[in-house]
Amino acid sequence: MSAVSLRGVTKRFGEVVAIDGIDLDIEEGEFFSMLGPSGSGKTTMLRMIAGFELPTSGTISLHGRDVSKLPPFDRDVNTVFQDYALFPHMSVAQNVGYGLRVRRVPKAERTRRVAEALASVRLNEFGARRPYQLSGGQRQRVALARALVNRPAVLLLDEPLGALDRKLREEMQVELKEIQQDVGITFIFVTHDQQEALTMSDRIAVFADGRIEQVGTPADIYERPVTPFVAGFVGTSNVLQPAVAKILVGRDEMCTIRPEHIRIVPTGTQPNDDEMQATATIRDVQYLGAFVRVRAEVAGGVSLIVDVPSTTSVSASIAPGEQCELVWRRDYVRVVEHFNSTDTGRTT
Amino acid sequence: MRHANRVAATAAVLVLIATACGSSSNKSSSTTTTPKVQQTIGKGEGAVSILAWPGYAENGSNDPKVNWVKPFETATGCKATVKYFGTSDEAFNLFKTGQYDVVSASGDATLRVVADGDAAAVNTKLLTNWNDIASFLKLKPWNSVGGVSYGVPHGWGANLLMYNENVVKPAPTSWGAVFDATSPYKGKVTGYDSPIYIADAALYLQKTKPALKITNPYALDDTQFTAVVDLMKQQRKIIGEYWSDYLKEQDAFTKGSLVLGTTWQVITNGVQADKSSPPVKAIIPAEGSTAWSDTWMLSTKSKHPNCAYEWMNWITKPDIQAQVAEYFGEAPANLKACSLTTNRDHCKLFGASDTSFYSKLAYWTTPTAKCLDGRTGVTCKNYADWTAAWDSIKG
Amino acid sequence: MIGTGLRRRISRVLWRRPRLRLGLLLGGPLVWLLVAYIGSLIALLVTSLYHYQDDPTGLVQHLSTSPSATNYRRLLDQHVYRDVAFRTIGAALTVTVIDLLVALPVAFYIAKLAAPWLRRVLVVAVTMPLWAGYLVKGYAWRAILDPAGGVLHQVFGHSPGFGLSGTTLTLAYLWLPYMIIPIYAGLERLPNSLLEASTDLGAKAATTFARIVLPQLLPSIVAGSIFTFALTLGDFYMNQIVGGTTQFLGNVVYREFSANLPFAAAYATLPIVIMVAYLLGARSTGALEEL
Repeated sequence: MSAVSLRGVTKRFGEVVAIDGIDLDIEEGEFFSMLGPSGSGKTTMLRMIAGFELPTSGTISLHGRDVSKLPPFDRDVNTVFQDYALFPHMSVAQNVGYGLRVRRVPKAERTRRVAEALASVRLNEFGARRPYQLSGGQRQRVALARALVNRPAVLLLDEPLGALDRKLREEMQVELKEIQQDVGITFIFVTHDQQEALTMSDRIAVFADGRIEQVGTPADIYERPVTPFVAGFVGTSNVLQPAVAKILVGRDEMCTIRPEHIRIVPTGTQPNDDEMQATATIRDVQYLGAFVRVRAEVAGGVSLIVDVPSTTSVSASIAPGEQCELVWRRDYVRVVEHFNSTDTGRTT
Repeated sequence: MRHANRVAATAAVLVLIATACGSSSNKSSSTTTTPKVQQTIGKGEGAVSILAWPGYAENGSNDPKVNWVKPFETATGCKATVKYFGTSDEAFNLFKTGQYDVVSASGDATLRVVADGDAAAVNTKLLTNWNDIASFLKLKPWNSVGGVSYGVPHGWGANLLMYNENVVKPAPTSWGAVFDATSPYKGKVTGYDSPIYIADAALYLQKTKPALKITNPYALDDTQFTAVVDLMKQQRKIIGEYWSDYLKEQDAFTKGSLVLGTTWQVITNGVQADKSSPPVKAIIPAEGSTAWSDTWMLSTKSKHPNCAYEWMNWITKPDIQAQVAEYFGEAPANLKACSLTTNRDHCKLFGASDTSFYSKLAYWTTPTAKCLDGRTGVTCKNYADWTAAWDSIKG
Repeated sequence: MIGTGLRRRISRVLWRRPRLRLGLLLGGPLVWLLVAYIGSLIALLVTSLYHYQDDPTGLVQHLSTSPSATNYRRLLDQHVYRDVAFRTIGAALTVTVIDLLVALPVAFYIAKLAAPWLRRVLVVAVTMPLWAGYLVKGYAWRAILDPAGGVLHQVFGHSPGFGLSGTTLTLAYLWLPYMIIPIYAGLERLPNSLLEASTDLGAKAATTFARIVLPQLLPSIVAGSIFTFALTLGDFYMNQIVGGTTQFLGNVVYREFSANLPFAAAYATLPIVIMVAYLLGARSTGALEEL
């Protein structure tokens, strides 16, 4: 039985359709991410699972029990909020113990479980402090402990790392994943950061305009995007319209190819059998540290993005205006779903 | 200069109240100097600020037909700002600020105003109507010091007993009606919200409890005062509201939440003019009445002394006096007004020239420790005592 | 061209000397504050230590030459002044409690439930009565409270009439915006996520209100109560309109002001002492940061 089952879930705010008939199953113990740009509906979906919003239609089930109409305090889920939502007038221990307290868990047990929860997020010594005395990462862990201490069936995390700086965020990604594996609780993680989603998740659902574009493992999503939107949103992709694809890769379908899958070689170099190539003029060069991002114009005025590792010797000679050859392996070219013109807006 | 005037005036008051009250001991007359007064009325300053009893400076805003302020402005070019007050204490506090050029002060305020150095001596030669003012009002203890006038008399009248004719039956004839602890009108009786109102109880006891030997309701020794204050405390139990804002009393009698109590003629006029109000009547009861005799006084801090004189001359003109006297319901000070009133009998009705009637009323005076009735060997209650008593009467 | 004008030169001097700048900015107001505010308070205290004595002639009074506690002794001896003080404090507390009970749900609705456009309308509506004159509102309440056919009498068949309860109701109405606005501001600052977190952790509405909303709102409530309490403590004119025979501290001070100024000064120190105590108490809750 799935930890969470969504069937035809729709949410309207007046005329606006925020969630448009979503069907989804999230398995027990999964680290599941909902990825999408702001306004794509991922947070609304999470809030409906938590019970802060009620669906306009459709059902939400937790372990087979229909909770669609239940208030948050009657659902076996807990939430870690984007701003942590720690109670400023309570100590860290009081924050963590709040859920147990309002559910009238005896004091002795409460104390024990709060201590355990604080230990699990490595904050044993911080119980007496106030939230404002903690760093961002520590607050984040308190919020996590406060939710986990209730041993919910599902933990909902609403962009919990968004407020942290980059280095701390990367550390917390690892830590979160470890904690999830320790406690074995289903995590539903909302983020707009595709890197974060790829790093942590067992599976990812990519949201756009209140719908799910693709559900799959990080490798599925990255390497085999099924829509141009997914290809563009997760990582950077060159999306080739069918007319262009016909010339460049010989297929009359919409295709994508990742910038890191294209190499730049000197003019006149012969490609291998499994490779294809095109002559190009370099228009633009951006130095990005680990690699150099090049915009190269091929025949017909189409530009392709190419990422060249900084260590490559050829990168030194790349300059705007130079002529070169672009080379890529055939099997890196992905055919994506063919959308009619009304759907092209999605890729923006 | 002004400061010197004020010191002189204060010194003069300290000494000369004594002579005014009939004391022969005037030991320090050598220190008395005649205060300097204005010698001419110059060009108007374009404005005058008037502090007045309600009804004394009407500009048509209460009744379009009742307006003698606008004509004054047209005639003199002095733009008049009018502020009404509800009690002599309020007048004293406001006039003290120096923001007002003239005030219509009653006898329980005049000497305080002079003693405080707020009122200037006036030059009666500049007062065009001075000769027409009733002689029994001029250079009296409450408006002059050492033969120097501190203002020009305005008019006088009695505090009346008003009652709702539909409710109060039989019609009252005595002030006893407002002092009756078992009054059937309990909660609908009113009193005047000022320490000076204690005199009403004193007047009533003067007439009904001869054993107390009260001869002047403003001269009360310990025993007399205790009896009077006890009567006031008993009265408080039947009082619904005290009033000092005349519009409030008018409103309450019009609506019917008050049916019996002390009033001024101008308030009764207001109630009677309102068609929605029940019929009311105002009388002078058998015991007589406390009363007021008012004087227009000039501020020592006046910024518009010329316009202030213009106003004092305007308000004492016969035709204006006739209008004010009829509107407010009082006797005019200028007897020439008597031939100009709409009701030819107005002056007769209010006894304007009747010296003996005038002397029967008990005019508001500031009580002092020296008994105002001439008794010696006893200390009377002064105004501070009256005020403290009023604190405890209201509780 | 740059740097020739006198104004520019003055500006440069000021830019280099921040203390001079500050002095010019605050000097005037500071002097005014010291003289007009602190000065008058000191004058009040000094005045209260003197008293009037009868002249040997008994006709006039003059001030005592040396300071004494005469006025304060009279305040303690005569129970009427204690009664009036307790009545005034009682009314101030009652007004504060009434305003709090009305303001909490109203402010909560405005801050957390109303749609944004409605919120703006309601905030304006709440503050609107502040634009009307004090006397206008006083007389309006006369018409409401009038025992002879006032609004309350006509609608409910009963009115508290003119008296202490009438004054208390009127003052509670008058000062209500001063309670709603700080509570509204406090609620607006309170993140919705805190309320959601509480519900999410299993708390029902009443628990969330008691354990999360109320403790966080305490500074705002105290800030509002400073207004309602102090304004009631200092009010005297409403008694003259709807108070019937009631008097407050302010009525006595006003009356004594003309008859016995030093005594009025002594009595007037009482509300000051009460407010200082109240503010010290309020400071410990952190409410003064809300003002």
